[in-house]
Amino acid sequence: MNCNAYSKKRPFILFILGVLLLLIIFLLSICLGSIPISLEDMKKAFTENDKIAHSHYIIITTIRLPRVLAAFIGGASIAVSGLMIQIFFQNPIVEPYILGISSGANLFVGLVILGGFTFGMTSMSTTGMLIGSFLGAVFIMIMVIFASQKVKSITTLLIIGLMLGYVCSAATSVLTALADREKIASFTLWTMGSFSGFKWSDVKYAYMITIPFLIIAFLMSKPLNAMLLGEKYARSMGVSIKLFRFLIVIVSSILTAVITAFAGPISFIGLAVPHIVRMTFKTNNNRIMIPAVCIYGAVMTGFCDLIARTIIAPTELPLNAVTSIIGAPIVVYLLVRKKGGTL
Amino acid sequence: MTPILSAKHLDAGYDNKAVISDIHFDALKGQMICLLGPNGAGKSTILRTLSGLLAPINGTVEINGVNIKKIKSKNLAKDLSLVLTDNVSLSLMTVYEIAAMGRIPYTGFLGNLSVDDYKIVDNALETVGAANLKDRYFSELSDGEKQKVMIARALVQEPDLIILDEPTSHLDIKHKVEVIRVLQRLTREKGITCILALHDIDLAIKGCQTVILVHGNNIVTQGTPEEIIGSGCVQKLYDISGAVYNELLGSIEFVGNNTNDIFIIGGNGSGIPIYRTLSRMGFGLTAGVIHENDIDFSVASVICSKVITESAFEPIKDISLSKAKILLQEAKCVIDAGFHLGYINQKNMELIKIAQKLGKPILSLRNNQNNSDFIDIDVQSIHFYESIGDLISSIDEIIKSHCL
Repeated sequence: MNCNAYSKKRPFILFILGVLLLLIIFLLSICLGSIPISLEDMKKAFTENDKIAHSHYIIITTIRLPRVLAAFIGGASIAVSGLMIQIFFQNPIVEPYILGISSGANLFVGLVILGGFTFGMTSMSTTGMLIGSFLGAVFIMIMVIFASQKVKSITTLLIIGLMLGYVCSAATSVLTALADREKIASFTLWTMGSFSGFKWSDVKYAYMITIPFLIIAFLMSKPLNAMLLGEKYARSMGVSIKLFRFLIVIVSSILTAVITAFAGPISFIGLAVPHIVRMTFKTNNNRIMIPAVCIYGAVMTGFCDLIARTIIAPTELPLNAVTSIIGAPIVVYLLVRKKGGTL
Repeated sequence: MTPILSAKHLDAGYDNKAVISDIHFDALKGQMICLLGPNGAGKSTILRTLSGLLAPINGTVEINGVNIKKIKSKNLAKDLSLVLTDNVSLSLMTVYEIAAMGRIPYTGFLGNLSVDDYKIVDNALETVGAANLKDRYFSELSDGEKQKVMIARALVQEPDLIILDEPTSHLDIKHKVEVIRVLQRLTREKGITCILALHDIDLAIKGCQTVILVHGNNIVTQGTPEEIIGSGCVQKLYDISGAVYNELLGSIEFVGNNTNDIFIIGGNGSGIPIYRTLSRMGFGLTAGVIHENDIDFSVASVICSKVITESAFEPIKDISLSKAKILLQEAKCVIDAGFHLGYINQKNMELIKIAQKLGKPILSLRNNQNNSDFIDIDVQSIHFYESIGDLISSIDEIIKSHCL
């Protein structure tokens, strides 16, 4: 009965550690920055906001708080999406963007920034970019879902996703070649990914859309577990593969598309966090993995965002540079330390 | 009794093209049925169709009398479970967790296991002899242990029928036997029907109750192992050239060179290791006089280019002796395998005498030089060896020096 007594204790400790880390990063993200804010002030901002400097209050409530909350939900979503995609493709080196989602978003944002398309809107704005990126991601996603109904082999689907990605990237390069230099700069900035400039309304939407899908992901942990043995075994255990395949593409794509729309393509989180969690929790069981990946995705993204904006403040580093620099060595270390070094 | 599985005029294949057609058989409760055939014969295709992973192109598969198409996948999972060849790379799942996955068709939405579920998983691991592995990570196991765990997982589904695709490939002989033993136990004690594909003729014939031979788009024949052996189909099935499948012994013998370098006098099994060793070294062999019911005969008839035989239980006749004499004359040397000398094969000793008269070098594995078997034979000129190893180390030299 108590077959896994040891492996039940470990996740429990790691979950508590994750929540603590989340809290610490939350506090640091509010307090640190080009203008340091004391814990005391932070407390006041929430309780007696008339007693602190107005500028501090503004910084906390309109800049840092939405940003850290956005980083948390962004990290959680991208990481869970990465986990699902890795299980679905039975391939440890795929990430959410493998299906061409980021390239689709890139292309459409490119159309907005570089080509001046407004998608029916009268003026160009961040909202336009947001809509562009969401449309791009969803457009590619629908094509992949359509393909997934037709194509039986998962590898073929993967290749279709990759090819769509290439086509979109090519189209984006063409756009870039034809565009003005100024516009290229602002486009490049977007592709670097960032949680800066998140407004409360953005945060609200991000949470409203992603949380139901994160819950759906958790509810899918049983078929996801069956899928660990491969598609044939999953089918032989009564998993309806067509429905499951459809759900997995929908859930992981929407989680990715929403975050990409708001923050640009966030690289490495989707690839690295599932690995880090798997190797520290020492399990593949998705009932543990999904909540754990949520928490540690949030921790890692929050931490990377904090580093990105504080380490050489006031200059801000591109988030994608930080995620890779921090994430890659952790994955390599865990792999090397592990017996046999296999995934 | 309704068969657990019944295939009716089934055509199996992909994309509307049948790889195998007109499959027709019933699997009864507790039967162990083996699909035997060469690689690429379509065994896996049949198994996939039987298990519902592939839709039949024509015909039907019935599970407990119900068309498999009409069974909901979740209910089918309670009747039928699979062990596949797919390499499962589950680095961080414990054996117990993997076996417990077999409860997926039974558990609720989140897959929580009940006390009964735990018992079933424990029992299954016990049955396959993997209970001691339950806390180990799956990736740390040997191939044989992994296979046992996958069988336990299939068992946890509490099926009437387990379909296994090549469950013994990649395993060493110990684990091959263990896996077949486990399956035999499941069929006999738990009444589970097992349908498995094998390409190992030996295991199929010795381990299973019913054998179905699959070859060239068709089921060649089906029946009990004894019927299959009697039909002489196995050699044809595998289209083996350069070797012969011995249906009596259930072993493969490589065909030897078609020359007459060495004449071997054996019998009662004494010849077999010598035929095999010298044939491996490239010598062309002949043998005689061997009785047709002698175990040496079944191997010699494949390896040696010519074998002089005598009818079973008959003393060696003069005509056989003179035929052997002709072969002996052509050979470069003669080996006495150290056979047991009895009433009916006494004349083989005369062959040694003849060889001596002909001046052929004689190499003997008879253990005692003063052996009373050698009547009227000058033992001084015979080369005696304790083992085949000693014999082969000097045989080249003896042949060479004699030819000079």
